Amino acid sequence: MTLLLYLILLPFIAGLAAFALPKNNQRKILLVGVALIHLMVTLALWNPGVSPTAAVGFLELDVLGKLVLSVISILFAAVSVYLWEYLKDEGSSNRIFTGCLLLLLSSMTLVTASVHMGLLWVALEATTLMSAPLISFERSRQSTEAAWKYILICSVGIALALLGTIMLAISSGSLKTVFLSDLLAHAGQLTPSWLKLSMVFLLIGYGTKMGLAPMHTWKPDTYAQAPAPIGGLMSGALTACPILAILRLIQICNRAGLSSFIGSILMLMGVLSLGVAAVFMLRQKDFSRLLAYSSVENMGIIALGLGLGQAAYWPSLFHLINNALTKGFMFMLVGDLYQHYRSKDIDRIQGAGKSMMIGALLILGFMSLTGIPPLGTFFSEIMILTAAIQSKHYLTAVLFVLFLSVIFIGMAQAVLQMFHQGPASKSEPQTITGAWSRATILVMGVLILGLGLYIPSFMGNILRSTQAALGG
Amino acid sequence: MWLDISLVSIIFIGLVLLGSSRIGTIIRLFAFQSLILSSIPLQVGWTDLTWHVAAIVLGTLMVKVFVMPNFLFWAIRHVRMRREMPAILGYGKTMLLGGVLVGVAFYISSKLALPNPYFSHLFVPAAFSIFAIGLLLLVSRVKAITQVIGYLVMENGIFLFSMLLLDKTPFLVEMGILLDIFVAVLVMGLVINHMTEDYEDTNTFNLATLRD
Repeated sequence: MTLLLYLILLPFIAGLAAFALPKNNQRKILLVGVALIHLMVTLALWNPGVSPTAAVGFLELDVLGKLVLSVISILFAAVSVYLWEYLKDEGSSNRIFTGCLLLLLSSMTLVTASVHMGLLWVALEATTLMSAPLISFERSRQSTEAAWKYILICSVGIALALLGTIMLAISSGSLKTVFLSDLLAHAGQLTPSWLKLSMVFLLIGYGTKMGLAPMHTWKPDTYAQAPAPIGGLMSGALTACPILAILRLIQICNRAGLSSFIGSILMLMGVLSLGVAAVFMLRQKDFSRLLAYSSVENMGIIALGLGLGQAAYWPSLFHLINNALTKGFMFMLVGDLYQHYRSKDIDRIQGAGKSMMIGALLILGFMSLTGIPPLGTFFSEIMILTAAIQSKHYLTAVLFVLFLSVIFIGMAQAVLQMFHQGPASKSEPQTITGAWSRATILVMGVLILGLGLYIPSFMGNILRSTQAALGG
Repeated sequence: MWLDISLVSIIFIGLVLLGSSRIGTIIRLFAFQSLILSSIPLQVGWTDLTWHVAAIVLGTLMVKVFVMPNFLFWAIRHVRMRREMPAILGYGKTMLLGGVLVGVAFYISSKLALPNPYFSHLFVPAAFSIFAIGLLLLVSRVKAITQVIGYLVMENGIFLFSMLLLDKTPFLVEMGILLDIFVAVLVMGLVINHMTEDYEDTNTFNLATLRD
């Protein structure tokens, strides 16, 4: 149990220390060191011998929290190693950047360990606040604008969630509790009118943080303006935090007999997100914005899957893992392309396939983003489609396939354009600068490919046990 | 009696906020609303929780009545134009809409089971009203600083609502919420400060380069 507390405190203290350290180089070592220790401890938590099961007050790590924590920790470690070469030793200070990054890791860990809905809210709001300064690291007018939109829209969204959390406590009558264990134990006695109202507020609030349509408007601006690895971290790891909050809501609703109520709202938000993504991904000029809309799409798929009920729970979580890895991978890969071509415009990035490795990696990323076999996303999308058909949601199934096809076309147009040899092609072939960046991207690529070809038995067991944890 | 007067005046200040155009007035009205709000925990009679109540009252008083308004005045110190741009709908219509929202808040509250204790029949509708007024202020204005005030007015509504749970909410979580809101305004203020340096104005119409 104390191990979990250390896991939250370590990046917190390191984050404060980063503000005090005098040199850029020292802060970089601290960042990578803490990220790797965090990853090792997180992976060690899966060992049944060190299971942190004893519920001590506010913190407890169940299988859902552990799964999300692992995704966060893996992606954070990858981004930190990538940042080793991105952050320069000389030049402008990276004090605020590394400090906020470490505090962000601490607050994301706190999200996964909170079993009190109020503390969960506090931790989620902290993730917003700690990530806002990261967006405007390369200070420009556009990044200030993006940071403003991000912090304002997400704070308003999360204020709605706080109101919802208070309503949740009121729905429990004289108990007035938002401890998850109490809510689950007394789910049958919750006042339905307050509970339903609270779920609406909570879903809109956490949906805003997830970037579900129609509250997704901050996403394209933010991901396009943030440094590329931060875009990857935000779309992979940071979005997993509100998803965990929504998983908690599903747990409560399933126990309280409101599965179809929360399910129908989630399905509506999911389909709407897919539709919005499909419209904006066709003819998109900026590759980062394209990836941002792809994130809206993938959040939509996860929300839709979670809304469909038990049959689609574990495919949705599998999709969450694959999406996190792919987004991190893709943002890092294109981060190098942007530097090479000094532009994020799809029209200006031409002849990217000249180098075999970049070409192959781009195709891998494209396949995973759009769900082409043999990759994991194909598998999860098919499972969600099957669940939709089996539960007789035919219209949803048709729209799902339609929007995914349009998104495939939009994505394919962009990637083909990047392979095209045109006037903007550069004579020298593109490589990934920096040995550590290259190693990170390759490891992520292997992970994505590996998860498509083979789901290890321990992972299958984990995914099955999430099903039991969610109930329904 | 005093509680009802306080609740009504909090809603009334919210409506006046919707019709105000001077930024200095808006910040001062917010501080005044927060001042009345911070006295609510003393009025609802949680007599057995003196230490807890005192911490909440003092924390709110310090953060929302003194620190935040002064910080917001600091953030706009460079801005020459102290008057808000015309509201998107116009001030009159915005106030009217605010009145409608207050009506909706009362209607919704009447449909819900009363929590126990509920202090006053005005309590839940007042919380919903202020929340809605804050949201309306936030979406109807174009100055970044007024949008921050809108956010803070929303938080005032939530604060009022959370008074219903004061006896059971863990102190740690309450302080966490207050700290989060404080840091949120701090970060927003710093971004506004960047904006005034980059654009020499905090008109969010300037923030229109990012679009599809």
